[in-house]
Amino acid sequence: MAAVHYPWGNMKHVALPNRWNLPDLGLGVGLRTTHFRHITEHWPAMDWFEILSENFIDTGGRQVYFLDQIAERYPIVMHGVSLSVGSTDPVDFGFLDKLAALAKRVNAVWLGDHICWTGVAGINGHDLYPVPYTEEGLRHMISRVKTIQDYLERPLVLENPSTYLTFASSSMPEEEFIARLAVEADCALLLDVNNVYVTCRNHDLDPVAYLDAIPYEHVVQVHLAGHTDHGTHCIDTHDGRVIDEVWQLYKRVHDRTGGRATLLEWDANVPKFQVLQQEVGKAARFRKGSHQALRSAAA
Amino acid sequence: MSLRDEPRLDTLERWMQEIVMHPDGAVAGVRAAPARRILPVAVGKLEKVVLPSKSLSSIERLDIYAHMYYARLLEILGDEYPTTRQILGNEAFWKASRRFLERNPSRQRTLNHLSDRFPAFLSRHLPPGGRSGLATDVARIERAMEDVHDAPQAEPLTAAEFTAIGPAQWQYVKLRLVPALRLLDLRFPANEYMNALRAGKKPRLPRPRATFAIVYRRDFRLFRRDQEPGQFRLLAALARGRTLEEAVRKSVSRRGGDADTLAATLGTWFREWAAAGIFCAIDR
Repeated sequence: MAAVHYPWGNMKHVALPNRWNLPDLGLGVGLRTTHFRHITEHWPAMDWFEILSENFIDTGGRQVYFLDQIAERYPIVMHGVSLSVGSTDPVDFGFLDKLAALAKRVNAVWLGDHICWTGVAGINGHDLYPVPYTEEGLRHMISRVKTIQDYLERPLVLENPSTYLTFASSSMPEEEFIARLAVEADCALLLDVNNVYVTCRNHDLDPVAYLDAIPYEHVVQVHLAGHTDHGTHCIDTHDGRVIDEVWQLYKRVHDRTGGRATLLEWDANVPKFQVLQQEVGKAARFRKGSHQALRSAAA
Repeated sequence: MSLRDEPRLDTLERWMQEIVMHPDGAVAGVRAAPARRILPVAVGKLEKVVLPSKSLSSIERLDIYAHMYYARLLEILGDEYPTTRQILGNEAFWKASRRFLERNPSRQRTLNHLSDRFPAFLSRHLPPGGRSGLATDVARIERAMEDVHDAPQAEPLTAAEFTAIGPAQWQYVKLRLVPALRLLDLRFPANEYMNALRAGKKPRLPRPRATFAIVYRRDFRLFRRDQEPGQFRLLAALARGRTLEEAVRKSVSRRGGDADTLAATLGTWFREWAAAGIFCAIDR
């Protein structure tokens, strides 16, 4: 354990077992516009917030007004959906400048996106498309991640996406692709355990074997979320509570890491803020010696 | 590219994008010329490119992405243009929206500007009069509301700053408008019609009539206000950077009436605008 002092002042001692010594921020939720008023009127118990980067870029209105206030009181992490690190289009440095400006504005603890592509030929599909897990795909993405990290002068925190198809040309499993990407590009990972569950359901894979292949010294953050089970496949909808099987995967990750910043995503049918507190607070039962307020909220 | 070789990364990405963005779904996308030019594979041979799962065929797996592409973006258009949709009716609105997305895929990293060109698209592709003409005007108002929502914040002039501008300064003073303001010249009384619909009324379809409106933001709330023609011309002239004197001369010269009436009218307009907070700086 090491003493770390942050301007937010609410973390005295945090575990630093990842290779960048990035802190375990505790338990957080995704910052959504429907909760702006509640948060700024009550300043509720929450260790940190994650923002969807694109929601605060190219806008100067209400979102930014509230974000500035919230960023003064809570640590903020930036998580994006349009970086398109797997795309064969050129890197969009103008967009990186906007990300960097936002990161500076909110004093982002880290920023990241997904292991995917979102479009080519200058078009953005605004979805997280899977890459073929090939040597060519891996080399391409390693090169892109290194370029982006060099430009931003900070590690990217990249998330395993939920995927709904596999390319026949893939020559390695997803978890091997991710592990090699993390190690060879020297990037950080955001391990979304709900996505692990969804992807493994969709591809008939073993989620425990998936988790066992992850290089945990690269993992700095964990996501939790709900999904929709259609029987034939699962869709990562972020519209409900975390299911028990995902909590068990989370426990496994926590046992391997000893504590990583953990975030609940809830983006559709968004409930009252107190419901989010209770749901993410359930993670406290897997964690030791901290987050009393959230544990109480979950009780 | 033939399937005798493993498709390269850029080939797979371009091919998949053509399919998931095809307006008639993944099967039509695989069969369409743009995808076939990139990777000529038949629907029946698709497992050579995309593996099936235990439960889903290759085409069903691609179709998940194709469905989500339109579902997600159509939902955004529906959220941004609720009154346009109400006027056009669901069938016509969704049909137009789908055609718009097909021809105007997003080229931005954010979704803020996805529908920038939607009102112009409606104007080009719907008949100009009647219900669709009104809907096009309403779409312009709803687009302006999105723009105003996202515009940078600027502190409005205070009453003291405003009243300190004496008549002698009019010849060189320019008033700067806040970024969160849009001026709209319309072919229908669209703002009035929107107000009636949003109040739960069932207004009759109005006849075409030139109207003028402003959309602005104050304390992070959006407002829509109809403007008199001269009032609108004055604001438009100020927006173009005219001095106060030039703007007044150009906008109210057609009104006629005596000087006292004109002064009273201008006083009323500027008090309204000052209360609305639509000026943010005085350039001298």
